[in-house]
Amino acid sequence: MKKIISNWQASFVAAIVIFLAAYPLLGPSSYLKHLFILFFIWSVVAAYWNLLNGYVGINSLGNIGFLAIGGYTSGILALRFGLSPLITIPIGGVVTGLLVTLFLGFPALRLSGIYIALLTLIFADSLPSILTQTRDITGGGMGLHEIPPFFPGMEKVHTYYICFVFFLIAMLILYKVIHSKTGLAFVAMRDSENLANTLGINRYQERLKVFAISSFMTGIAGGFYVHSLGDISPTTLSIEPFLLALAMIELGGIGTFFGPILGAGVIVFGNEFLRLAGTLRLTLLGALICGVILFYPGGIMQLVEELGTRIKVLFNRKKVTE
Amino acid sequence: MESFLNALVSGLISGSLYAAMALGLTIIYGISRIFNFGHGVIALIGAYIAWIFVQNSKIADTSLLLGILVAIVFLFLLGFLLYRYTMNPLMKKPNWEISTVLFMLGLGILLENVILQIFGPRVKSIPVFKEGNIRIGMVQINWHEIIIIFIVILAIFLLNLFFKHTRSGQAMRAVAQSIPGAKVVGIDIEKIFGYTFGLAFVVTGISGILLGTKYYMNPHIGWEWMVKGFVIVCFGGLGSTNGAIYAALILGVVEALATLFLSAMWVWPIWFAIFMIVLLIRPQGILGGRV
Repeated sequence: MKKIISNWQASFVAAIVIFLAAYPLLGPSSYLKHLFILFFIWSVVAAYWNLLNGYVGINSLGNIGFLAIGGYTSGILALRFGLSPLITIPIGGVVTGLLVTLFLGFPALRLSGIYIALLTLIFADSLPSILTQTRDITGGGMGLHEIPPFFPGMEKVHTYYICFVFFLIAMLILYKVIHSKTGLAFVAMRDSENLANTLGINRYQERLKVFAISSFMTGIAGGFYVHSLGDISPTTLSIEPFLLALAMIELGGIGTFFGPILGAGVIVFGNEFLRLAGTLRLTLLGALICGVILFYPGGIMQLVEELGTRIKVLFNRKKVTE
Repeated sequence: MESFLNALVSGLISGSLYAAMALGLTIIYGISRIFNFGHGVIALIGAYIAWIFVQNSKIADTSLLLGILVAIVFLFLLGFLLYRYTMNPLMKKPNWEISTVLFMLGLGILLENVILQIFGPRVKSIPVFKEGNIRIGMVQINWHEIIIIFIVILAIFLLNLFFKHTRSGQAMRAVAQSIPGAKVVGIDIEKIFGYTFGLAFVVTGISGILLGTKYYMNPHIGWEWMVKGFVIVCFGGLGSTNGAIYAALILGVVEALATLFLSAMWVWPIWFAIFMIVLLIRPQGILGGRV
C-alpha cells in the first residue's frame, strides 16, 4: 500500500474503516444509517466511474445508466420471479457488463475519446424512453416499488453492514485492478505510447477490459442500490444523480484512489443541506463542478497532499531545531 | 403520395434547422478540437434573448430583429470571453479533453438552471415571421418555413464567404488543418480560438431562435437539441461542415418518414440506431473528418 498512501494516511484510513464498522453500535438514527448506506453505494459508483475517466482516459458519461441497468435487472428478477437478491445482483452485474461492453465498448473504444463520451451520454439519455415503452415489465414512469430486501425481515443495521462489506470488497477489487497488469499497462501507455506498443500492449483490448470491469461493478452497485432502498424509477437517470456523481469525482480529485470516496462523503451528506437551497440546488452543483475544474483541479486530494507536505515540513523543522 | 411528399418537405425543413444547429458544434470541434457539451443551452440563450425583445414590445417585426442583433453581440462576447477565461487555461493541462467536456457539461447545467430561475418552467415560443401558407402542387408549405430555409441558406452562404475570403476565416481553416503550421506562419492561435468560439456561439444562438419560432422552448429543451446535434455531427463526420449539413437533411427526412410510417415514439430509437450503425460501419462519418 506504500505507493499510494504514506504512513499517516494509512492510519487515517484504518481509523475511518474502524469507525464505519463500529458506527451502528453508537445507536444513530435510522436516517443517518440511510445516509451512510447511500454513501457506500455512491462511492462505489463514483470510484469505478473515476477508474474510467481519471485513470484510463475513457471519457464515459453513462455510468448512471449502468447503475440503472444493474438495478432494474436485479429488481425485476427479484420482484417478478421471486428470486433471492443473492442470485439476482450478480445476474444484474453480468447483464450490465455484457450489454454495455457489446453496445458501447466495442463500437466506441476504437475511436478517439470524444466518441465514447457522446455514445455513453446518448445511451444513458435514451434509457428513460425505453423504460416508459416497456411499462409492463419495468413499471414505466412510476418505476419499481417494494423490491424485496436482501433477506426477508431485515433491519436497517443489517443493510448497513451488507453495504459496508460490499463497499470494502469493491474498493479492494479496484485497488487490485489499478495495480494489476492491466493497470500497469495504462501507466506504461501514459508514459510512452510507443514503448507500450513495442512491448505488445494492445490498447483496445486493455481498454475494453477496464470498461467491462467498471460496468460490471457499477451494475452490481445498482443491485445493492435497489435492494437497500426498495425502489427505482427513471428519476435515477435524470440530470441530478448524474451531476451528483460527477461532482463527487471532481470535488474529491479525479484520477486518485481516495478522491471519489471523499467526494461521495461530502456530496451525500452535503446534499442534505443543499435541500435548503430548493430549486437552486442544481445551479449550485453545476457551479461547484465548474469552479473545482477551473480553480482547484486536484480537488480534496490536492488539499490533503498540500496539508501532508505542510505537516512533513513542520516535523522536519522540529528535528532540525532539536 | 400526398402525405409522403408533405413529410419529405417537412423533413427537409426540420433538417435545415438541425443543420443550422449542428454547424456551431462542428465549427468549434473542427477548429479547436474542443467538443462543446454546453451546446444546447447556448442555443437556448439566443432564443430567450430574442423572446425577451418580442415579448416586451408592440411592434413585433423590428423588435425581433433588434433581439436577434442583441443576441448576436451577446453570444459573440460570451463565446470569446468563455474561451479566454476558461477554455484557454484548461487546454494547457494534460487531461484537457475530459476537463473541457466536464466543464462545459457543468456550465450547461448551471446556465440551464439559471434560465429556469429567471424565466420559469413554462413553455414559450417566438412568434412566426410571417403568417399564412401557400400550395405548390400537392405540397403545402408555410411562409414561415420558407423564410427559415432562406435564412439557413443565407447563413451557410455567409459562413462560406467568411471562411474563404476573410483573413480571420482563412486563419481558422489554417488552424483546423495544422496548429504547428498555423503557428509557423504567425497566426495567433489563442485569438483565433476565441473568435471561433464567438462565431460558433452566434451561429448556435441563431439556430436556437429559428428552433424557437418553429417549435416551442422551455429551459430543458436544449438537451434534446444538443443530442440531435451530436448524432448529426458524428454522422456527417466530426469537424466537417458540409458533412453536417448533408447529415442534418438526411436525418430530418428520416425522422419525418419514421413519424409518418411508424409513429413519433420511434423517432428517438431510430436516431440512436443510426448513431450506432454509423460508429460501427463508418466512424469517420459520411464526409471524412477526424476519428
